[in-house]
Amino acid sequence: MNTRYLPANLVIGAILVVLTLGVALLSVFWTPYDYTQLDIVHKFQGPSAAHWLGTDQLGRDLLSQLMAGAGNSMAVAVTAVVLGGSIGTALGLLASAYGGWVEDIVMRLSDLSFAFPALLFAIMLAAAFGPSLPNVVVAIAFINVPIFARVARASANQIWTREYVFAARAAGLGKFAISRDHILPNIAAPIIVQATIEFALAILIEAALSYLGLGAQPPSPSWGRMLSEAQTLMYLAPQLAIYPGLSIVVAVLGFGLLGDGLRDVTDPRLSRER
Amino acid sequence: MIELKNLSVTLGAAAAVRDASLSIQAGDRLGVVGESGCGKSMLALSMMGMVPDALAVSGQITLNGTAMPPRDETAWRPHRARSMAMIFQEPMAALNPLRRIGDTVMEPMRVHLGLSREDAIKRTLDLFAETGIRDPELRLRQYPHQLSGGQRQRVLIALALACDPALLIADEPTTALDANVSLRITDLLVRLSRQRNMALVLISHDLGAVARATKDILVMYGGDIVERGPTAAVLAHPAHPYTKGLLGARPRIEQAAGKRRHLPTIPGSVPGLFDLPKGCRFSGRCSVEMPHCARSKPENVNTEQGQAACHQLKEGHNGG
Ligand SMILES: Nc1ncnc2c1ncn2[C@@H]1O[C@H](COP(=O)(O)OP(=O)(O)OP(=O)(O)O)[C@@H](O)[C@H]1O
Ligand code: SF4
Ligand SMILES: [Mg+2]
Repeated sequence: MNTRYLPANLVIGAILVVLTLGVALLSVFWTPYDYTQLDIVHKFQGPSAAHWLGTDQLGRDLLSQLMAGAGNSMAVAVTAVVLGGSIGTALGLLASAYGGWVEDIVMRLSDLSFAFPALLFAIMLAAAFGPSLPNVVVAIAFINVPIFARVARASANQIWTREYVFAARAAGLGKFAISRDHILPNIAAPIIVQATIEFALAILIEAALSYLGLGAQPPSPSWGRMLSEAQTLMYLAPQLAIYPGLSIVVAVLGFGLLGDGLRDVTDPRLSRER
Repeated sequence: MIELKNLSVTLGAAAAVRDASLSIQAGDRLGVVGESGCGKSMLALSMMGMVPDALAVSGQITLNGTAMPPRDETAWRPHRARSMAMIFQEPMAALNPLRRIGDTVMEPMRVHLGLSREDAIKRTLDLFAETGIRDPELRLRQYPHQLSGGQRQRVLIALALACDPALLIADEPTTALDANVSLRITDLLVRLSRQRNMALVLISHDLGAVARATKDILVMYGGDIVERGPTAAVLAHPAHPYTKGLLGARPRIEQAAGKRRHLPTIPGSVPGLFDLPKGCRFSGRCSVEMPHCARSKPENVNTEQGQAACHQLKEGHNGG
């Protein structure tokens, strides 16, 4: 494969991801307006020099809301995927290193958690502890644990057969040190690919949960909540639904394409099998 | 120091190593030769407690007077790197491609000797100097792909020496290297063994290297140790038909020492592990075979040079 050639999905995905992350980061420091600031007089405005994307039913600046929503969405996705991914990867490494009953327990637990859809789990959490973004994070992290445990275990099993792992054993290193210093760095590529793909799903789940009222609570900005609020005004002001909808599409598509592209680059075998 | 008694490594009914006994003392330099698949690596791995799980190990392994369970990680781990260390055939494959060479070499000293990072760096630089690694400071920070094959093998040797092992097992250390480099690596192993009074087990297809580097030799065939004795004497006057066959094509090894050489071919090929004859493993390929050879296992008998296991020797006493 020509190393100078980058697949289109990787390039487009990377551009969309940089855009999304850039906007999210910017929103932490600056938005054109305070997104909570009401201005009833100027409600339902179209695009103008003052409000690039116009205003909503309460006269709030749409662009500011979208930017702050991006920040929220990214924060939830990052926290959830990093949390679930780390725990899952650690469990997968453990299962691969020790095998036997340790592996059995880890894999049975992950079977069990696969049986719980994220949505169902989030609804249970919301019922028990009330709807909130932290609960969304926990729910998304939870479903990511078994996914990463499986990817990590499968990749680690391959690395354990490598001769340098054998050499490390011959040098008197234990399973923990080998897992940390030799296995983990060598399974980083598939883990990162998986994380990128799960990141896209996390954005979608957060939007869905907030749309259902189980996630971000007013006035906390969220693309999902903007969508649900815009729903009743669809005929009056369709742009209120279109902008957050497009934002979700761009972000999800971006991370999805980036993940696929990274997978194509790091493991051509996998991409052909798909 | 390390002693194997009636060691067998088996896969079901098949034996990769059968009834091997040997003893290694400080300063010994032992060559192990034999065709591919004859059990040389398994013999070596049993001395590391690292025989693959698929195979069963029986017999006794005694390390510094202590009986070792053949495959108990917790029992063996503290001894690895300190009592014995190993280097491998493919130095590139034996180094983690994503790890700096310095970190790889330092790891066992930090684990086993509890050295601080600074002390470990100092010690690594000393070892790099001792093993003839150029630009030691630079090597610390480099990755395996940035080194040549010979330099990589030197790195593996430095890694093996990290905790001053009493025994270094080199499993075909030069097979992947070109002739000149391979000669220098062999000489380095001999020098290290002499200077450190460290025992060396050199497994090799290269009779020239074994002749050059070792004091004693084991000849293996089909999992059996068929002949042993002082290297020079055995190679000059082999007693066992298999050893004779190995040497047959090249009677004068010393002349070509240093040139890359493979074991000369004996007619036929080594049967699969499960197809080996029950008695003498060499029966079927042996030119002086007798009718009962395939059925009964020959005992070790003393020869002029050492020991060999062949019915001809027992009956004819033609030890020369
Ligand atoms: N992991 C394994 N599982 C089952 N059998 C094995 C395994 N590894 C090696 N063997 C068998 O054990 C026998 C001895 O193998 P060993 O590696 O000791 O030979 P060797 O003398 O080192 O050969 P070479 O010169 O090719 O390295 C061979 O017949 C081989 O097929
Ligand atoms: S025992 Fe028989 S078959 Fe085996 S080497 Fe001696 S003569 Fe040949
Ligand atoms: Mg071998």
